[in-house]
Amino acid sequence: MARNLKSLSSRMIFAVLLINAVLLPILSYGMLTVVRNVQEDFFTDHIRIYSRVFADLLQSNDTLTSKAEILASLDSAILGGRCVYAAFNMGDSRLISSLMEAGDGDKFVEDFRFGEHDDGVYYLSIPLQSGEISAVLELGFDEQPTLLEMESARETILTIVLVYLLVTVVLVIVLSGLMTRPLRRLRRDSRKVASGDYTRQMSVKSQIFEISELTRDLEHMRSTLVGINDRLEGEIVSREMAEAERRKAEIYLRHTHRLQSIGTLAGGVAHEFNNVLLPMLLYTDLALEDLPRDSPVRPKLERVVKLANRAKGLSEQILTFGRPAGEALEATPDIAPVIDEAMSMVRALIPANIEIQLDIERPVGPMLCNCNEIQQLVVNLCNNAYQSLSSGRNVIKVGLENQRVTAELAGKYPSLQEGAYVRLRVSDTGEGMDSATIERIFDPFFTTREVGEGTGLGLSVVHGIVVKHDGEIVVASEVGVGTTIDVYFPQSDD
Amino acid sequence: MTRVIIIDDEEDIRVVLEEIFARAGFDVAVASNGADGLNLLREQGADLVITDIIMPGRDGVETAYDIRTEFPNTKIIVMSGGGNAASSGYEPTAITTSAYLASAAAVGADLTLTKPFDRDELLKAAKELTSKQD
Repeated sequence: MARNLKSLSSRMIFAVLLINAVLLPILSYGMLTVVRNVQEDFFTDHIRIYSRVFADLLQSNDTLTSKAEILASLDSAILGGRCVYAAFNMGDSRLISSLMEAGDGDKFVEDFRFGEHDDGVYYLSIPLQSGEISAVLELGFDEQPTLLEMESARETILTIVLVYLLVTVVLVIVLSGLMTRPLRRLRRDSRKVASGDYTRQMSVKSQIFEISELTRDLEHMRSTLVGINDRLEGEIVSREMAEAERRKAEIYLRHTHRLQSIGTLAGGVAHEFNNVLLPMLLYTDLALEDLPRDSPVRPKLERVVKLANRAKGLSEQILTFGRPAGEALEATPDIAPVIDEAMSMVRALIPANIEIQLDIERPVGPMLCNCNEIQQLVVNLCNNAYQSLSSGRNVIKVGLENQRVTAELAGKYPSLQEGAYVRLRVSDTGEGMDSATIERIFDPFFTTREVGEGTGLGLSVVHGIVVKHDGEIVVASEVGVGTTIDVYFPQSDD
Repeated sequence: MTRVIIIDDEEDIRVVLEEIFARAGFDVAVASNGADGLNLLREQGADLVITDIIMPGRDGVETAYDIRTEFPNTKIIVMSGGGNAASSGYEPTAITTSAYLASAAAVGADLTLTKPFDRDELLKAAKELTSKQD
């Protein structure tokens, strides 16, 4: 309710009423005064002229001498409809028309203004002089018809004023409605914008300049807001993306650093290990040389040599992770045959009930690689896939293809660059891994298998080989579904 | 008799290599660091020096460089245990042994060997190097 009272239309109505309340009484009063004055002036002018003419007639016809004639004249004045009172005073004698209704003329009190006395009759006296005779003519005129006319005029004026008031109020209501309708639509639109619907265009049409200007300004504001909003949303999205990229890069960097420090540690351990292994092997060698050919100690020492050589193999694998030096890389125009050979080794290693699906593009390359190491890598990856298989789902897929590394992928893995790569994909339908396990699978001696089932070096060797070939490993895994390991190697130019 | 000097900070390695070379008919001397080995070379001369790469004091690369500078005709074999550890401790930023071995080759080592190697491999290499004395 209070809001309605404050609305534009109610204020406009109130303002019009207020203006009318002040102006209309003044106007009415002025008009009534004018009308009254005009009526009064007309009445008094009229009766004075009439009285004068009547007096002049009395004087000029020399009738003042005859009493009967005077009375006849007085009667004619009343009969003429003009007077209600006619009397004639001459000396002590007083003549009164017998026709007058106003009684015997005792009431005569001279009026100088219309309505001066409330007897409803305008009295006036006119002195007459005819020769020696001096007399006073007294006439009375009914004020009632004039008063009725004035009343009628007043009623007309009041009617006009009331109609005027009504018309202005109705006009104001209609006009304010016309003005507030576009404003209400503007309000509805701007509320939508405020509630987040920026796409709603403000297109309120109005003949009122201020409203159309306001609409244009609000629309300008809205479109600016949309622009700002779009920019902000874009910024948020790009920041979120940058943040996600940064997090990924951080994880990648941490992972890389971890592998590097593990590599350093593993290298250090292997180094010390080799320094122990060398004299062990050489001493045993010397001891074997010193022993008689049929010594019962000989087989035991030969066993020691075997074990020391196994330890040497382990140490080499550890070093492959930390420092993949070894054999040099050679230009290989097509590595598909290399993978074929590796797969025949894999087939020999893995039980026949395991299905191996191959999808090898030909040719794939060229690339700089060490074929033995690539084969080692394939064998290790397949072995790892095999180890992860559980009963029931026994498929290992090996794919090889030329693949273009996109800017997006390169962005995720800093060691990759946009361009031509060779992609080796080994996927299994095994148990899969959680992210914590994925994080550690390349660590030397990390294994999810039972103690004694594996050295935990297979994938760390893979890592070393991939690093040596400037490649990258991308692991995707889902627990219960399986694992896909993609290995990317850069293609060489020729 | 072909004279060989063995430099290694590990006593076991010194002892076993000394015996191997002695049995193979070499005249052997040993030193536990690069400076001693160089002094020995200056005092007694040698056809072949076999030096470890990671040692306290002057390492194998520096020793190989010194020898090559002072004794251009002496053959040098540099050996390393692989990895990238110094005997004084692990340094994550240390250059790798493969880089060491490459550096050793660059400063004039005739052969680089990664431990552990076997006796025959070592003796074969030593004999080949010393037989082509110029």
